[in-house]
Amino acid sequence: MGHHHVSSPAMFMSVLLALLFLTFITVAVAQFDFGSANMLIAMGIASLKASLVILFFMHLKYDTAINKLVFVSSFLFLSLLFIFTLGDLFTRRLDHELHMTKAPVTGDWLHPSAIDDGQ
Amino acid sequence: MSHDDHHGVMIPAPSPEFVSHEVAHHFNSPVQEFQAGKLGFWLFLATEILLFGGLFAAYFYFHEVYPETFRVGGQQLDWRLGALNTSVLLLSSWTMAMGVRSAQTSQKKKTIMYLTLTVIGAAGFMVIKFIEYSAKNEHGLIVFGDLFDGYQLLSVGGETVGEVSWFKDYDGVMNGLPHGHMFFAIYLTMTAIHGLHVIIGAVAILYVLYGTTKGRYHAGYYLPVDLVGLYWHLVDLIWIFLFPLLYLVP
Repeated sequence: MGHHHVSSPAMFMSVLLALLFLTFITVAVAQFDFGSANMLIAMGIASLKASLVILFFMHLKYDTAINKLVFVSSFLFLSLLFIFTLGDLFTRRLDHELHMTKAPVTGDWLHPSAIDDGQ
Repeated sequence: MSHDDHHGVMIPAPSPEFVSHEVAHHFNSPVQEFQAGKLGFWLFLATEILLFGGLFAAYFYFHEVYPETFRVGGQQLDWRLGALNTSVLLLSSWTMAMGVRSAQTSQKKKTIMYLTLTVIGAAGFMVIKFIEYSAKNEHGLIVFGDLFDGYQLLSVGGETVGEVSWFKDYDGVMNGLPHGHMFFAIYLTMTAIHGLHVIIGAVAILYVLYGTTKGRYHAGYYLPVDLVGLYWHLVDLIWIFLFPLLYLVP
């Protein structure tokens, strides 16, 4: 079946070395404190590694348009879950000090309405 | 093509060490069989992304609410074991890719070698995972014996609070941190479901390894090896995100 793409061993080896190198970079950058940028950097590198796995090890680069659409669409649906979940979270008011002062393992979530009722 | 008999198209074996493949009778051609199998499998992988995606959403949610709990919790994991397991999985993903390539090019001995190496990688991953889990059990961060004893309501200073039975924290490393068990709940849930995928993947690889020894997979027909390979790469894909999030909590 000549229409199937057969990747060269050299290409697979390059991808493997890139993945191992990026793993090293992941550990290296985690030693520095960039504040909230650490999460973005870690997820950026992980996404790059994931792209290499998907495109080359999983051959999606050479796959049919319908298969590309199916797999990529799963990430689009996933982004809906992330946008609404984290959108809710980031628009709430959290009172971290308050729950730190209570006994361990206790209620620590306060809805804004509970904080703003004049108490 | 005759529609009277319910036999599919035959894909001939490229050499005597292989067997021919009969395309399932409901497919018109080998290409249709191949593409249908691939499409179905990519759809399944999409559901896997959504399964793990829900868990990642939970991770980001609780990471935002309890940043200190996650930072200190992450320090209780040994990042060297995590990095080692990452390397093991990446290597086994490479051996799997080479195994699929060997099947595509009708190299039976090489296919057997690469698939065997991939299974060894899977076993190595689970051994390292077991060592990690044992350490967590020892320190009371995940007491596996009490895992299903549930959630208890306790009275602390006149206040009713909840406590999970499996989180004992013998060394008190999480003292004073809100919901100290939360990081380990996420860690266990995500790594256990991932580990289950590693085990299922290993069984699937053993299945196609057996088929390879029987000469079933060659340049004309290697779909099962291809699909098992996709599954194995997905297991690697999930771990690529789990490693920095759990072992190097950003």
